Amino acid sequence: MTDTGFGVLRRDGRTDAFFDGAAADQLMIKWCPACDRWFAPDASGCTDCGGPELVWARAGGQATLVSWAVSHARPRDDGSPAPAPAMLALVELAEGPWLHARLDGVDAGLLREGLPLAAAFEHPGEGEAYLVFRPTTGEEPADAHRGL
Amino acid sequence: MRTDRFGQAAIAGLGMTELGKVYGPSPRRLAAQAVRAAVADAGLTLDDVDGLLVSHGMSGSPGIELAETLGLRDLRLLTHMNAFGATAGAMVSYAAMSVISGAADTVACVFADAPLKPRQPAGSAYDSAAREYYGFTGMTAALGFRSVNAFYALAAQRHMARYGTTGEQLGAIAVATRRWAGMNPLAQMREPITVDDHQNSRWVVEPLRLLDCCLVSNGAVAVVVTSADRARDLARPPVHIWGWGQGHPGHRLERGSEFGLVTGAATSGPVAMKMAGVTADDIDVCELYDCYTYTVLVSLEDYGFCAKGEGGPFAASGALAPGGSLPTNTGGGQLSAYYMWGMTPLSEAVVQARGHAAERQVTKNDVILVSGNGGILDHHSTLILSPQPRGHRP
Ligand SMILES: [Zn+2]
Repeated sequence: MTDTGFGVLRRDGRTDAFFDGAAADQLMIKWCPACDRWFAPDASGCTDCGGPELVWARAGGQATLVSWAVSHARPRDDGSPAPAPAMLALVELAEGPWLHARLDGVDAGLLREGLPLAAAFEHPGEGEAYLVFRPTTGEEPADAHRGL
Repeated sequence: MRTDRFGQAAIAGLGMTELGKVYGPSPRRLAAQAVRAAVADAGLTLDDVDGLLVSHGMSGSPGIELAETLGLRDLRLLTHMNAFGATAGAMVSYAAMSVISGAADTVACVFADAPLKPRQPAGSAYDSAAREYYGFTGMTAALGFRSVNAFYALAAQRHMARYGTTGEQLGAIAVATRRWAGMNPLAQMREPITVDDHQNSRWVVEPLRLLDCCLVSNGAVAVVVTSADRARDLARPPVHIWGWGQGHPGHRLERGSEFGLVTGAATSGPVAMKMAGVTADDIDVCELYDCYTYTVLVSLEDYGFCAKGEGGPFAASGALAPGGSLPTNTGGGQLSAYYMWGMTPLSEAVVQARGHAAERQVTKNDVILVSGNGGILDHHSTLILSPQPRGHRP
């Protein structure tokens, strides 16, 4: 399990379907049935038709890299080791929405625009599972609706 | 469309409190102090003020109760405004329109903030770390998106990957800005730096280093806007407002987005320049919002000072530094002087337009561009200012 260095992740009552999915290693995002258009899990309505009734739907989990950044912890006053740097990213889901995300298992030197990624979930001992993206070989895309 | 009235408003007063580690007064008291200073600077009294536009930073104060603090009576214009870092430009444009339309005669515009607390790292004022995080948004924060640094880093990295922009080119902006700061007694950081110093400064969120990031400051800044005719008879040389514009691209975070690569300056710049009757070639001085070195780089492209993707080489050419072809952030900007959001570039523009910048005074100041930027390159404002009445041709 990745050491995140952060605290415990809890539900907020508005995105339970996302965390139910995460617990089962499934990426749940939002979808407008009227427009057949996909949105990020925190979208509040459809920007095309204005409809507030977005529904939760399972995304395939395939994504590509848009941009990335490495967050370095502030050096500690007492000289003790700071938490490991975090590899942050902006990723484009195959369905279209972009997510702010954490990369896992990547070689910083190989990052590039368009790098194929796949969603995965980490399950900490306490709190909700959280989403990370890992590079794929590009040859074996995850089955979009595996397990449904 | 009538254009003859556009140039008929001017900035007549500038007031600044002590800026930086100012821990005593509340943001409201700082704002009141700045308004009083700006009004006095113009040679006016508070009785002359009939309009007040208020904005604030992270502190969430003051709002329109500032009018009561100042004891202002019979105002004809009073509101709080917020377009984040674009607010200062938006306030000045609203004030100018009010003066031109006759809705008000003398409008004070003020920004105040006091995010710095004693014995607390400056960065923590804009950062959040918690033990528990809630919901999907909380997950994003927990994974490391805890301050705007991370989002600007993604923007800068996207430009680097797309156009080959380098950290050294960002460093050239930090170095040029510090050179200007060395000539500004109000600047908080005045020690000269080199590109090596920049490259050796610690990572904040890679590709942004400590010297790519602005300061955090407490204080307040105010300006007074009135008619150009009236300004001519007041205490200071008028700073004529030739044009203004806003741009809010509304980048959606989805396939095809130009997030990070194109800012609202691509819209606000042409609007303001057209109103002013100038092009990018006519701009003598730039005062750009520089929350990060990268903000300067991408704004320069969007204003048309260089082609898209060439902001890095342009910055590294020395154009922005003292003696360069496009003097930029001549007071040391937010990177090295003081962080009063959009009031940082605006205040320096007023000083340069008046010819009061002493050692750092630029030789040619006929057309000055002031840029505001808010959100993650989401909100932009532009002002075109001049010591000359609109229509003046050098
Ligand atoms: Zn829809």
